[in-house]
Formats: sequence, C-alpha cells, structure tokens
Amino acid sequence: MIELRNITKNYIRGAEEVHALSCIDLSISAREFISIVGPSGSGKTTLLHILGCLDKPTGGTMTIDGEAVGDLPESALVRLRREKIGFVFQQFHLIPGLTVFDNVALPLLFSRGDRPREKIMALIEMVGLDRRVAHHPNQLSGGEMQRVAIARALVNDPEVIFADEPTGNLDSTTSEKIFSLLEALHAKGLCIVMVTHNPDLANRASRVIELRDGRILQQRTRGRRAS
Amino acid sequence: MAFIKLALSNLMRHKVRSLLTLVGIAASVTVLFSILSFNRGFERGLADEIDKTGIHFMVVPAGCPHEVASLVLHGAVTPKFIDAGIVERMTHIADIELASPMLITQLLNVERGRLDMIHGLEMSHVRQIKTAWRLEGRIPDGEDGILLGSEVAAHDDIRVGDRVRYGNREFSVSGIITKTGSQDDAFVYMPVTALQAILEKTGGLTAVGVKVSRPERLEDITGELAATVPGIQIVTMNEVMRSLASLANSAKVMSLSIAVIAVLISAVGVMNAILMAIFERTQEIGMMRAVGASRTDIFRIIIKETVLLTVAGGVCGILLSTLMAGMIEGFVRKVMPYVPSGKIIHFEPVLAASCIAFTLVIGVAAGGYPSWKASTINPIEAIRG
Repeated sequence: MIELRNITKNYIRGAEEVHALSCIDLSISAREFISIVGPSGSGKTTLLHILGCLDKPTGGTMTIDGEAVGDLPESALVRLRREKIGFVFQQFHLIPGLTVFDNVALPLLFSRGDRPREKIMALIEMVGLDRRVAHHPNQLSGGEMQRVAIARALVNDPEVIFADEPTGNLDSTTSEKIFSLLEALHAKGLCIVMVTHNPDLANRASRVIELRDGRILQQRTRGRRAS
Repeated sequence: MAFIKLALSNLMRHKVRSLLTLVGIAASVTVLFSILSFNRGFERGLADEIDKTGIHFMVVPAGCPHEVASLVLHGAVTPKFIDAGIVERMTHIADIELASPMLITQLLNVERGRLDMIHGLEMSHVRQIKTAWRLEGRIPDGEDGILLGSEVAAHDDIRVGDRVRYGNREFSVSGIITKTGSQDDAFVYMPVTALQAILEKTGGLTAVGVKVSRPERLEDITGELAATVPGIQIVTMNEVMRSLASLANSAKVMSLSIAVIAVLISAVGVMNAILMAIFERTQEIGMMRAVGASRTDIFRIIIKETVLLTVAGGVCGILLSTLMAGMIEGFVRKVMPYVPSGKIIHFEPVLAASCIAFTLVIGVAAGGYPSWKASTINPIEAIRG
C-alpha cells in the first residue's frame, strides 16, 4: 500500500542542518497496525507527516498504491489526503465553535462530498458519543474529544489512519479506551499507523518500528524481532 | 455545513472582538451613507426648490451670480436696484409670458422692535410664481393687504384679519401661507408698489422674475433681452442651481473624503482583527489542511469571515444612518451655508445597495492579505504549534 525507499528529510533550523530522517526503507500493507516508537527527536512525527503527505521528503521515493507521491502537485496531495488518509492528533484540534456533529462532518466540507446525516451519526455512535452530538468541544472530556477526532478521521472512508500520539494527553484508563477503539477499527480492516511513547500500547500493535536519530533502529512484529 | 457557517462560527468565538470591529465598520458606513444620501437629497431638493419658483430666469442688477442665487432662494437684501420700466419693455419681447417685479428689503417692525424680511411682489402674479403655496385666507387685492409666512405668523401669533404696521402704513393680513419648509416661511409679502412707497423708491426693483411660454427658446429670449436692456444681468434658474451647488460642493467633497478615510481606517481594523484571529488559529488551520482542506479552501474560509464582518457592519451602518436621518439632517443644516427646504435625507435602496457593495469590496480588499497568509501556512509547522 505505502512504499518508502531511501527516504531522507533534512531541514535547516537556525544555522544548523538537521537530518530528521535518513535512509528510511519501509513497506506498509493494507490492514496493518503499526506503532512507531522512539525517543523525542528521533523523527517519528516527521515520518508520520511524510507518510500522510503533509510533508515532502528531501530525498528518496514514496509510493501510495503504486503512485509516486514525490512528483505529485499540491492539488493531488490534497486529493490523496481527502480520499485515502485520516489524521488523529495528540491535541485533538477540534474547532471550538462547532458541535460534535459539525466537527465530525468537517472533512466532508473540503471533499465536497454528500453529508449523509446517517453516516455521520453512525460514526458518532461508533465512538460512543451519540448523546453528545450537539455539544461543543469545551463540554467534552479529553477522551471524548479524541473520540470525536477519530470519528472525524473516519468520515471520508480512508484506507489508513495516521495517529500522532493519540493517547499522549489522556490518563491511562482513557488511553486504553482510545487504543481499544483503534484496535476495533483495525479489526474492521483499516490500516493504523500510530506514533506513541507508551511502550505497552506500542507492543500491542502488529508491528513496532523503532526510530533513533532519524533511522530505523529495529522493526519487530508481534512475537518476533527483525532488524 | 457550508463554508459560510464555518466562517460565522469562527467570528462568534471572539464575540467582543468581532463586535468592536463591526462597530468600526458600521460607524464609518453610517457617515458615508448619510453623506451620500444628503448629497443626493441636496441636489434633488435644490432642483425642486428652483422648480417651485415657477420662473425661468431672473433679471437683476449687474453683479455677482452668487448674490443672485442668494437673492432668489434666501431672500438676501442687495443694495442695487433696477428700474421698473424694464418690466414694460420686457412685455414687448416675444414669448415672455410673465415679467414679475420683486423688491426685497428689511423693514423695522416698530410694534415688535425687530427687523422683518419683506418681499414686495405683484400680488396678481402669486398664483403663477409661487405654485406650491397653500393659503389660509386669500391673496390681497388691494394696496393695504399683505401675506405672512407661517413662521412670522406663528412667532407673533398673528391671524388672518389682524393688522400690522410698517413705516407709516398699516396693513391688514389677508392670508397666511401654510408651512413650506423653505425660506418663504420667514417672509412678509406685500404689494411691490406699497413697499416702493415705504422705501421712497418709486420704480426701484431688486429683480424681475420672468416666465416664458416656450422654454426651448430661452437662449434666444435672454439674448434679445441682454441686447436691448443695458445694466442688467440675466441669470437662468439652471445657473442659480449651479452656483448654489458649487457653493456646497467643497463641503460635500470634504465630508465625503473624511467618510471614505473613515471606512479605510476601519478596513485596516478589520484586517488587523482577522490577522490576529489567524495567528491564534494556526494549529487549527494546520489541522484543516491535514483533513483535506486545500489552500483555496483556507483562503475561502478567511475571506468569507472578513466579508461577513464588513457587510454586516455595512448593513448596521445603513440601518443606523436611516434611524438617525433626522438628527443628521438637523446637524448638517446648522453647519452648511445653504440647504434646500423640505426633507433632504430619504432612504434610497440603490444607494444602500451601492454602500453594501462597497463594504463587500472593502471586505475582499481587507481580507485578501490575511486570507493569502492563512492559505500559505505550512501545515506541519502549524500542527506542531
């Protein structure tokens, strides 16, 4: 589904050049559940942004469903994000002035798709917020906000969800609930790629990719280790 | 949910800021719309007032046309006189339907100890040259009858049939003119020959108002008159209107400039408010890019916020201006050198629509830069915060 070959990402910070990613080779298949771990500054989020077509690599090639992403214009990348990708952030990033319903429906505004109420309500019910449909984000708990963000990521029927520390701002009980929700989505056939600092949650993924200093230190699938 | 709903919800998040920005726009549009309405009303009122005089041109002693304009509409006292004999000569010129003598002066009202403005005219011409007048009583048919403007009558509680003294003569009030809203309300009208006698200016006139039977020949008639009667000046009503309009023009240009500058300043306020909002919502914009918003989508959201704000301000401004029309008109009447009679400020839908369109343009102009800036925000940096 997603292929990365010799991906590098460099950028300038002040006077120094930062090598955020180096020689990344990675294949992600449909229906995988991958967690990306590593210390701060190891390049986890940069990798996630490149995978999610929010950022472009400095070198190397990336393909999604066989299509080379590096040569695509901005409009095609926008289309890819609309059609194939869903994002979940640590900070939730809900719009305060909109209700739960409208926050979930927001991506449909940009994809100019239909706005079937039944579908949106089904997603809100799936994340367990059917009694909170008309509430605003400031009336929700952290866990509820993250569930709204997950429903929002699903509304365009993506093939893959990129979650950047989705439990980073939540207590352990709520984190468990959010992770279970992601597991349930994976069980329904969705590919999940999650950046996390939580080793317990990371190890429950089908594959764990460990980064250090912008390189893949090791990859392990559940039950066995590979370099 | 539409882009407009999203833009509206963004504005509602900072109600006080949005309200203050809107008030700025509303205040400047109030001034702009009031001035434009007043200017429109001024031109229309002037044309109406000139039309109501019922004459096509005036013959006056040679002098300044502005003085003539004042004479016609304000009833100014001029020191020069023309000889009444020209009235007789004018009747021989083809197509002159009416030549009406006028003598304007001030007379001491001994009983009340003040100066009254007196307009001497040929009473048999009143129906032709003062077509808009409505009278309580009748037009005097003798030398001792006078007409009073409504303000003069009301001020001294004078009624039809009362007697008033000027100089060594006593007059009977034959009629009182119903309120016209013009300078006519402040005049006393008496037969021109009676006024000449009081002033001891037999045959002296301030002006002769002329009505022609074929207005299309106006140029030929005035040309012939100028050639045959020396020492006079002919001023057509169009010239009078132009003179008065030019008198008011500088005030109009100045006030309009101030209004436009006020709108521009409030537009800068709008731009500032929107830029602040974008700065605060950087992460949110990054999120929207991540969930599928294109740069154009972001541009559209921000420009709609700006346009919503300016157009709402424009609508409020027009409503305020309409509600305050009477107060604004009263104020302008005090500061302008000449303002036509009657209600000047009327609500004009086309003018209101033009002002709304102007605020739309201001919105697009003020929102252009913030919208572009928002659309170029790097989503990665935005999400990182």
